[in-house]
Amino acid sequence: MSIHTKTAIEAIKRSPFQAISAIFVLSLTFFVATMVAVLVYSSGRALSYFETRPQIISFLKDDATPETVAGLEDKLGKDTRIKDLKYVSKEEALEIYKKATSDNPLLAELVSPSIFPASLEFSVIDLKLAETVISEVKNEAIVEQVGFTANIGGEKSLSDVVSRLKTASLYLRLGGIVFVSVLATTSFLVLLVIISMRMTTRKGEVEILSLIGATPSFVRSPIILEALIYSLVGVLIGWTFAIIFWLYASPSIISYFGQIPVIPKDALTFFGLFFIILAIELVAGITISLIGSLIAVGRSLKKIR
Amino acid sequence: MIKFSDVTKSFGSINALNKISFEVKSGEFVFLTGSSGAGKTTILKMILREILPDSGEVLFDDVDIVKLADKEVPRLRQQMGIVFQDFKVLPERTVSENVEVALAVSNVPDNEWDTRVHHVLKLVGLDKRAQLFPSQLSGGELQRVSLARALVINPKLILADEPTGNLDWKTAEGIMDLLEKINKEGKTIIMATHHEGIIKHGKHRIIHLDDGQVIK
Repeated sequence: MSIHTKTAIEAIKRSPFQAISAIFVLSLTFFVATMVAVLVYSSGRALSYFETRPQIISFLKDDATPETVAGLEDKLGKDTRIKDLKYVSKEEALEIYKKATSDNPLLAELVSPSIFPASLEFSVIDLKLAETVISEVKNEAIVEQVGFTANIGGEKSLSDVVSRLKTASLYLRLGGIVFVSVLATTSFLVLLVIISMRMTTRKGEVEILSLIGATPSFVRSPIILEALIYSLVGVLIGWTFAIIFWLYASPSIISYFGQIPVIPKDALTFFGLFFIILAIELVAGITISLIGSLIAVGRSLKKIR
Repeated sequence: MIKFSDVTKSFGSINALNKISFEVKSGEFVFLTGSSGAGKTTILKMILREILPDSGEVLFDDVDIVKLADKEVPRLRQQMGIVFQDFKVLPERTVSENVEVALAVSNVPDNEWDTRVHHVLKLVGLDKRAQLFPSQLSGGELQRVSLARALVINPKLILADEPTGNLDWKTAEGIMDLLEKINKEGKTIIMATHHEGIIKHGKHRIIHLDDGQVIK
């Protein structure tokens, strides 16, 4: 163990309550930061889900012939307001149903493809156009009914759903950024105070070290290491509590939101997301501790020298 | 090794040093004597570049340390060993750790530390006290820790500021014997003291200061 690490650890042991305060505040900051990061991710995913899924589904009548379907497909394909057009056959509709009811296979066994209507699914380039397009498609002879994702949540129009999601997502991001910034500033100030106190208690030692030829970096190293230890422990504790929370809550969340992928369902993506958050938080923690300790040490060294 | 030329230093209206000039050659043992406030400590602080003169030149190995950039000061101090009247040992470190700190400061590879620390603690007679903390040592022992820390880096020059000031006569004599021994090994020593008995202890050159001037 290097002399600086030893000095830093001894300083922490000598003032356990200072260390606990610093680690507590940093843990809280990074716990909230992890929660906010996952919520921002979830809102983004929900928004993306609603924005990218087929927005409009025109269910076709059972007597529609392949020729009439092809005619309508061609007509819609040429419409510049429409994008991502896709024909879904009865068999494919059954597959979608099977997938959606995969947790209860008995439901899928009780049905045959004939009860599912074939459909033409598509999106519009601008959600403002949705209502006009829907009313036009409804008038097509082979179209039985037109559904749109706005039905979810009982909104009047699809644009309402997406704009509400966008607003919620924006407020979540803004609120999250403000809240995390306040906590990060608090952590920074707590670190600054603790390191300044440490420098005051080490004033005599710093003077001796300086007289026997210690460079400023030699004097700074254990103090910066101490701040880094607080940050790293704080990040790890905050992140660990957050991941435990999400691991515990994810089955209920996944079940509640059903098809909407608010959090990753597979372990690899789930842990991948959390490790990316951890990496970002480690960088943030190191930055906070480095800047805080350098400012505190710089000010104290100026006074001492 | 050390050369002061027309060095002047004032603290407000007080003239601490008034155009003083002297030279200390390599391997010499020089006493800086004079009453309190005569300027002994000011001279030592200037050699350490803790304070700068108002005018004049202070040379260390022909380098004017007044003109040194701040970032070069640690390198200068690493070539000197310093012994303080109030010991200035680190209270939360053991005897051996206090000595190791000087090695760490001077970037001595840590695989050499054990040998060097053991050697120097044996020299000052503290090898059996290596794991004790300063609070467990006597004044004389603390001064020997301070001396061991100064010696372990194998400095060109040892500066001692009243190293016997806080010690009884017998302990002070022990410290002086050690300094004599170190000087005989070729180390240059500049020692500030106003202790008559100590000055008579060894027949060394004396630079006597009075009111900021060199008298003899």
